Parts: sequence; structure tokens; C-alpha cells
Amino acid sequence: MAPTNQVLIKESSNVRTIILNRTKQLNALSLEMISRLLEVFHAYEEDPNVKLIIMKGEGRAFCAGGDVAAVVNDINKGSWKLGANFFSKEFTLNYLMATYTKPQVSLLKGIVMGGGAGVSIHGRFRVVTDNTVFAMPETALGLFPDVGASYYLSRLPGFFGEYVGLTGARLDGAEMLACGLATHFVPLEKLSLLEDALCKANSGDPKIINSIINEFSNTNPKLKEKSQYFRLKTIDRCFSRRTVEQIISALVSYKKEKEADKNMDDWISWTIQSLKKASPTSLKISLRSIREGRLQGVGQCLIREYRMVCSVMQGEYSKDFFEGCRALLLDKDKNPKWNPSKLEFVSKDMVDRYFAALDDKDWEDLKLPARSNLPVYAISKL
Amino acid sequence: MGRVVDVTLIILLPIFPPYPATPITQLPTIRLLHTVKLNLHNRLLMDSSPPSSSPSSSTSMDRVNFRTQVLSRHLHHHPQTTDLLLPAPCLNYSPPELSNPPPNFDTKSLRKLLDGTSVEEIDYIFNLMIQSTLFCPRERGGKVFIAPDFNQSMEQQREMTVKRIEYLRDRGVFEGWFDKKGPEGDLWRFALAESVSVYDHSLGIKLGVHFFLWGGAIRFMGTKRHHDKWYKPTETYEVKGCFAMTELGHGSNVRGIETITRYDASTGEFIINTPCESAQKYWIGGAGNHATHTVVFSQLEINGVNEGVHAFIAQIRDENGNICPNVRIADCGHKIGLNGVDNGRIWFDNLRIPRENLLNSVADVSPDGQYLTEIKDPDQRFAAFLAPLTSGRVTIAASSMNTTKIGLAIAIRYSLSRRAFSIKPNEPEVLLLDYPSHQRRLLPLLAKTYALSFASNYLKMIYVNRTPQTIKTVHVVSSALKAVLTWHCMRTLQECREACGGQGIKTENHVGHLKSEYDVQLTFEGDNNVLMQQISKALLAEFLAAKKRNKPIRGLGLEHLNKPAPIIPTQLTSSTLRTTQFQTDIFCLRERDLLQRFVAEVSQLQAQGESKEHIFTVTYQTAEDLGRAFSDRLILQTYLDVEATVPAGSLKSVLGLMRSMYTTIVMEEDASFLRYGYLSTNNAAVVRKEVLNLCSELRPHALSLVSSLGIPDAFLAPIAFNWVEANAWSSI
Repeated sequence: MAPTNQVLIKESSNVRTIILNRTKQLNALSLEMISRLLEVFHAYEEDPNVKLIIMKGEGRAFCAGGDVAAVVNDINKGSWKLGANFFSKEFTLNYLMATYTKPQVSLLKGIVMGGGAGVSIHGRFRVVTDNTVFAMPETALGLFPDVGASYYLSRLPGFFGEYVGLTGARLDGAEMLACGLATHFVPLEKLSLLEDALCKANSGDPKIINSIINEFSNTNPKLKEKSQYFRLKTIDRCFSRRTVEQIISALVSYKKEKEADKNMDDWISWTIQSLKKASPTSLKISLRSIREGRLQGVGQCLIREYRMVCSVMQGEYSKDFFEGCRALLLDKDKNPKWNPSKLEFVSKDMVDRYFAALDDKDWEDLKLPARSNLPVYAISKL
Repeated sequence: MGRVVDVTLIILLPIFPPYPATPITQLPTIRLLHTVKLNLHNRLLMDSSPPSSSPSSSTSMDRVNFRTQVLSRHLHHHPQTTDLLLPAPCLNYSPPELSNPPPNFDTKSLRKLLDGTSVEEIDYIFNLMIQSTLFCPRERGGKVFIAPDFNQSMEQQREMTVKRIEYLRDRGVFEGWFDKKGPEGDLWRFALAESVSVYDHSLGIKLGVHFFLWGGAIRFMGTKRHHDKWYKPTETYEVKGCFAMTELGHGSNVRGIETITRYDASTGEFIINTPCESAQKYWIGGAGNHATHTVVFSQLEINGVNEGVHAFIAQIRDENGNICPNVRIADCGHKIGLNGVDNGRIWFDNLRIPRENLLNSVADVSPDGQYLTEIKDPDQRFAAFLAPLTSGRVTIAASSMNTTKIGLAIAIRYSLSRRAFSIKPNEPEVLLLDYPSHQRRLLPLLAKTYALSFASNYLKMIYVNRTPQTIKTVHVVSSALKAVLTWHCMRTLQECREACGGQGIKTENHVGHLKSEYDVQLTFEGDNNVLMQQISKALLAEFLAAKKRNKPIRGLGLEHLNKPAPIIPTQLTSSTLRTTQFQTDIFCLRERDLLQRFVAEVSQLQAQGESKEHIFTVTYQTAEDLGRAFSDRLILQTYLDVEATVPAGSLKSVLGLMRSMYTTIVMEEDASFLRYGYLSTNNAAVVRKEVLNLCSELRPHALSLVSSLGIPDAFLAPIAFNWVEANAWSSI
């Protein structure tokens, strides 16, 4: 494959800086980018001259996600299997990063969403900064948090992962550090200095890298006054419930209890609203995915998510993904018509089907590459 | 990129061939496991200057430095190309997943055979426990494990148990406990109770006493007036219940208890009294610190007539936790396990309770003090009264299987990463599970655990679908399986403890500690030996009843007795041993023969004029052999029923392999096969040899079979994963 200019690579002795360069689309991952990333990650693992990988985005975003609009377009033109190819490569890349033998430092400036989280959170070091905005917004799109999110969201404290995954809540850098999605917080003005220092140190030793990042870090960035992270207790209480319906009713009764408390209302109303706006099917499969993911390894998570995403694209039980993309990305009327339209219409049987192997003779489960190494730390540690 | 993936696979494959019967000579080296790379040869040729941290490149490095380097490389998992060239500086951990073939069957489907429709509920409870700091998450070797802190004092452990229950209650876990009806409701309650026990037996027992014993007594022994009053506060833990049956002087013999209750018609109250020290209530879980109410089992004396054992509700503490007047409570003290449960002793000093507190499902006392009952025969009344409490045995049996699974998962995963002794000089040491002797210790227990788990599911199903006609079957099967499964649990834990060597001693590695936590299951809800003898009595009664009616025997799976005795081939072969026909035949033959022997023995003694009671005390040897034979045949039958639901394919073949392992190991281990001649000594030798064949055939599936048990990593132990890193200096 001819090298693409959507992914740039800077070489500095034993350090390789990978730059996502598709600025107009906020660096949304195209199939071309994913293929290129897979290629370089495979190559660097074998290359003794590479010790450290730095990942960053050109322009104001790190990466706004996978280019799902293009995927939907492909599916509409051809078959959902074109989409399957995209996700199979993307998830394989996620797996490679999660089990990588060399350290990856991701500099998360600006937007980090969906697929963008997938190419960074699985790595060893995740550096956030003043303007970082993280979200897994898939349930609003008729999809579910994929790219291994059922692995890393489920490992956040308490039931914060359910909250982030179901509502699509946006987190800032301080919140990401507090919950463990990020490993370091480096002020915006020091970010390029950090990059230079890492290149200069030219080391692949995680301990050395860690101490270099620490030099530039603000170890205790202040959470903003109204940070949702202060709601962790409420989040735990409500998002630990068995079902989406019970989560919503726990939130609603909490809201009633706190009717007098003005501070609380904004956040709780927003939370309830975002659940009501999301695709009911997406909410149910997302909750189950996170709960299963909590008991699985990252590889199993990706294999399961691949089954799910293929079912979503196949559209046999719900076409919410296409409707979501239409309403939010293409027509931009922001008014998706979900079908099934209500949580109670999404039966357990329907949810089960997203977790089963597809009934299609050409389809098969995601085959992850055999890894020669499964070190403990290589599996992202949150 | 596809190329890279493929080549990696190609390199991996020749190194890890399907398991040979003698795998030792083909063992991969430890170094290769870590550094297999596609361009292995190229790099070896071209790498003239290895990285500076390589020990070989620095001749001036002293030994201390060398060790430091080794250790640091070790800890940081920094693969070095030079590893390939150097002799091993020290051991490294390699996950079993790397050295074992991927599952050749669907592990999810196998887990579904174990956990059935409850998978989601079980996993939900696991999720709740893993995510709360109340469950003491600890990081070891890069993984998070949860387990109670057993280093806490008894009082602290008890408080933690309560906090964990409150946490679950506050998440709405118990909502609908009494509302969910039918088999589905029962299965849901079982799933809940079993999954908390996977975390901690104390938690399971504390919950079980409150909901199954106290709640179950209200539900089954009480009537509407009790349901209306007690369901809601029980569900919310406003009322904390316990169950006072056992006394210092009477355990298994419930009908012998000495607590006595009389009725005072002038006030409409019952008066409960502990007449002597041996009548003190003993081992009452929950009574020590927390329970506010109890069900008291007591003789009921009405107008000077003893009407037998009845159950009453009594308050023992007020809402502030103060012990009520006319009640004395003392602690049972520190125990060998289950210290998170507050077992206590209770004395009643003429405690007065309202007449309505009699649990009156089978008998009542009218306000003016008349004893009223539909069931005139006290034996029948007592049986009807206690029958619903079988649920205790069902959960004990099921929980014992979960504990067994934990022990095996830990010991087998450890045996797939721990090595000991080289066969030849300069060869890597051998993985524990590649020793046939180690296989023989663990793999039959694994197969047996699958068999017994299927049987436990069968027990659950006949319990939840019980009808008045099947009560007897439920009683016999629950007695048999409670005994057999809990014995298997303890035996397996002991074997696992030994198989883990010194590591098995550490509390954090569970296998050793679980022994003391679960030892009590051999005793509570019926002493295992007593239960086994009861089975034989029941079988005898069935047999005699059928004979008397001159009709074929039916029920309890005994129909095979109506057919001619099966013929066992004089010369057994490996393939015969693996047929379901032979396996069924020999298990049926053993049961049939032992039942006939038992019948003959009993009738001979009867002819000599001995009393029934005396006869049963002297025929216990045959009775226990028969109890075993009945259980084994039943377990095989339930196994075959499960196997029949699985479509032909790799899962079915591995199930078949485990079935053969189960039947063969029973034949090898139970002396009755040789003692009574179901196997000739020649055939016993064939059986013994077949065990070894089956072990080596199961060996490649060991990891997948353990993964299919469905116990999440967090509930296992550090030695099941990276035990080198878990014990590294940096982790201190």
C-alpha cells in the first residue's frame, strides 16, 4: 500500500512519532489510516531500532473517532461486509496496541472520541491536557462503545464506566486523570517540550519515560467545581442497577429526592435526558457489553464487540446505526427515529442476538493475531 | 500486515504441537515463549550489537549488577533479542494461554451447560462485587483480585459481611425476593446466593440464613398472616432473621431437641423455655451480633401432651440491637472458618410471644388452647413441615461446586505455568501438568467436577419443579448430592492445595484457606454420613413397597431393576470402557447388587427378630456402599442427559471424554467394584491403565475446561496468573 499522507511519521533516532493528519475531519480514522497504523505498529514491534512510539493528532483534535459516515456510505453502496472489514482492522489495531511490547505515549490534545480513544487508551501512557475532551458517544449514534471500550470502561472506578458509556458524557483532562483513563496531565504549553524531551531521552524504558512525563506533569489538576466526578456516589448508586430501565428509574427517583438542591438538577436532568435521547437498543447492548467486558480479557472483549458491531451493521434486528448516522452526521437534523422506539420493546432475546455468532455462512469471528508476548502491563492498566 | 500475523502463527505452531502423550521432549524453552519473532534468524545474524542493557555486552558488570538487570528486565517485560542466545538467567512467567492450544470447542457453550439461564444474573452479581472497594480489591502481578481480608479480627470480619450485604441491598439486588414466583424465581434466588458465595462463604451463609432459613421458614412454615407481616421488612433488612434449630445436645436428630414451649390461654401467649444447658440453641448464624428475630424450633406441649417439634417467631433484639428481656445470647467464639458469620447461642427464660407467632402451616393452636392439625400422624407432620427447607441442601451442593471450580482453576492454571525439574541436563524444567502424575491428581477431579455440577443442576431443577408427588425424590437426591458434592469439594481443595505446593499455604492463594471456610458444609444441613445412610433406607423402602404391591419399581431412576441384570464383558478393553452402554451397565449392576445385598442383610436380621433401629445401626457398611452406588449412577444419568442436548461436534467429544474419565475414575477408586467382583482383577488393571490414557487426552483441553468454569479472574488468586511479578520486590 502506498504511504498515505493521512498518517505522518517523524523519526528521531529510536523514537517514532505518529501523527494523525486528517485535520478537516478532526483526524477521524479512515480505513486508509487504520491500515497504515496497523502496518507501522507491526513493523515497529519487529524493528529493534524503535523503542518508543508517540501518538498525536495534527491540528486541534487528537482524533474524533472512526470515520463511521464513510463506513455507512460504503455499506449503503455495497454490503455491510465492507463495514466488517473496517471494524476488523480497527479492532485488530486496538488489540495490537493493548498487547504491545513497546511503550506508546499518546498526547491527547483536544477531542478524543470513540475510535480516537481506541488508538490511545489501550497504550501504556495517556497524557491529557487543558483542552482534552473525551467521550464515547456511540449510544447517541445507534452504535455502542466499541474499540475495546467494554474492556477499559468497565475497569473505571465503581460504575463510572457504565455512566460514561451509556450517556456519552464528556470528560475533561482532569476527570480523565482522576478516573484512570489518563496516566498524566501535562499543561498545554508544556506538551511540545515533553515531546522533545522524550525524543531526546531516546529511551524505551517505561520507568524513564514515566519520570520524564512526570517532570512536565501537573500531578493534581483541579477538577472543575461542577465536575461529574464529584457525583461518583450517585453514579455508583444508579448505574450499578441490573437493567437500563432500573438505572433510569433510580436516576429519576434520585432527582425527585433532590428536587430542592439546585446544583444537582442540571447534571441529573442532563443524565436522564441523554439516556432518553439515545437508541434504546444501543443502551441495552452497551450495558450488557460493559458488564460482560468486566469479566473478560481485552482480546475476548474485542471479539465480542466485533460480533456486536457486525450485527449492528447487518441491521437485522435494528437499523438504528444507520438512522443515527443519518440524523447526526449526514442530514444533521439531530432527530433520529429509533426503532424499537422504547426500552420496553427491546426484549432480552433481541439483546442476546447481538452477542451470538452471526447467522451468515461467510461470516466468522474476529481472528486476533497470535501474540508472542502477553506481558501484564501490555494490557492497558487503568 | 497480514503477512506478519501469519508468520507469527507459523512460528508458533511447530513449537506448540497438539499435545503428545509424552510432551516432555517437545517442550518449548522459556526464552522462546517470550521472544518468538518472525525475523528470528535474520535478527540473530544481523544483530551484532545487542542493546547495552544486555548482560553479555558488558564484561565488567559484576554479579549484583547482572542480577539487577535481569530483575529489571523481568519486571518491565522488556523483551531482549539476546535472550535467545543466552543461558537462562532466571525464570520468567509465561501465561498458560501462550503455551496451550486455543480451545477447540466453544467455551461459552460449555459454561452455559453449567450455569444455564442464570449466567447473566451471576455475572451481574460478580460485577457488583468487583466494582466496590468494600470487597477489598488488591492488585497482584498486574491483576486485581477481590477477597475478604482474613487478617481482620473476627468482629471486623463480621462487620464487613454486614456492610457487603447492605451494599448489595442498596443496589436493589434483593428486591422482589419474596415476589418472584415459580421455578424462575427459585432459580434466580439460587443464582444470587451462589454467586455471593464465590466471593466469600461467610457472605453466602449470612445471606442464606436470613433469606433461605429465616425467610424460607416464614414462607413455607408460615401462612398469610406471617407473609404479610414479615416479607417486606425481611427484604429490606429492617428485620434481621436467624434460624434456631440446632441445640448443644441435638443436631441431626431434630426431633430430639429439648427446648419446650407451652401455651397460656389466659394471655393468648406461648412461653418458650430452655429447660437445661443441653437445650441451649447452638451455632445460630446471625444470633451472635446482628439478628433481631429468630425462628425457634421447640417441642410444643399442649394440655400436658407433647405435640412434637414446631416453629415459632421470637424477637431477640430490639431495633437498637439490645438483647430482649428473657433472652440470653452468647457467642460461639472463633471458628476454623466462617468467621465473618456471627454464630451464637441462645437461652430462652420463659420468653412470652403472641399466639400468632406460631408458624402454622401444618398445625395451629386455637386462642382457647386447642391443638389443631390436618395431619394426624406426627411422623408425616414433621416431614411435611421440614420438606420445603431442602433448598438449603440445594444451595450447599451448588456452592460446593463453585468452590471446587475456584480451587481447580487456580491449581490447574498454576500447574500450567510452574515448572519443576529437568528431565535432561540443560533442558528447561518440566511444566507441572506435563507430569503424568500431576495430571492424575488434577484432571480426574476436573472431569468429576463437571459431572457433579451437572448433577447439581439436575437437583436444582427437580427442586424448583417439585410437586407433592416428587417430594420424596427431592429429599433422597438432595441428601445424596449434598453429601457427595461437599465431600468432593473438600477432597479437591486438599489435592489442589498440595498441587500448589507451598504457594497453596498462602491465604491469598485461596486453595488452602477455602478448606477451613468450607469444611462445615460436610456437617450442616445434615451430617454427610447420616445422609448417605438415609438414602439406603429410602431405596430399601421403595424396593420393599414395589415387591409388596407386586409391581415394577418406579422412580429414583431405579427402573433398571425391573430388567435382567446387565452382563459385563469378561475382558475389558479401552474402547469398551468408553461406551455409554458399558458405563451405564456397570453402574447399574453395582447399584442393583448392593441393593439386593442390603435387602438380604436386613431381612436376615429381621428374621432373627432384631429391631429396625438396631438393624440400621449394624448394616451401615453396605448402606454406605449402596448410597455411593446410587449417587454415582444418578450422576452418570444426569451427565448423559446433558450430553444428549449437545449437537455432535468438538464440545460433545470433550464431554464424552470427561464422562469416560468420571466413570473410569469411580471404578478405579471405589473399592466396591473389586470387593463385590463387578470388576475382575484383570479388568481393574485395564481400568487403571485407561485413567492414564484419559489424563493425557484431557491434558490439551485442561486450560479451556478451566476457563469454561466461568469463575472470573478477579475471584481466583495471584498464583493463577503472573506469580513471579506478584511476588517481585517492586510489589512490596
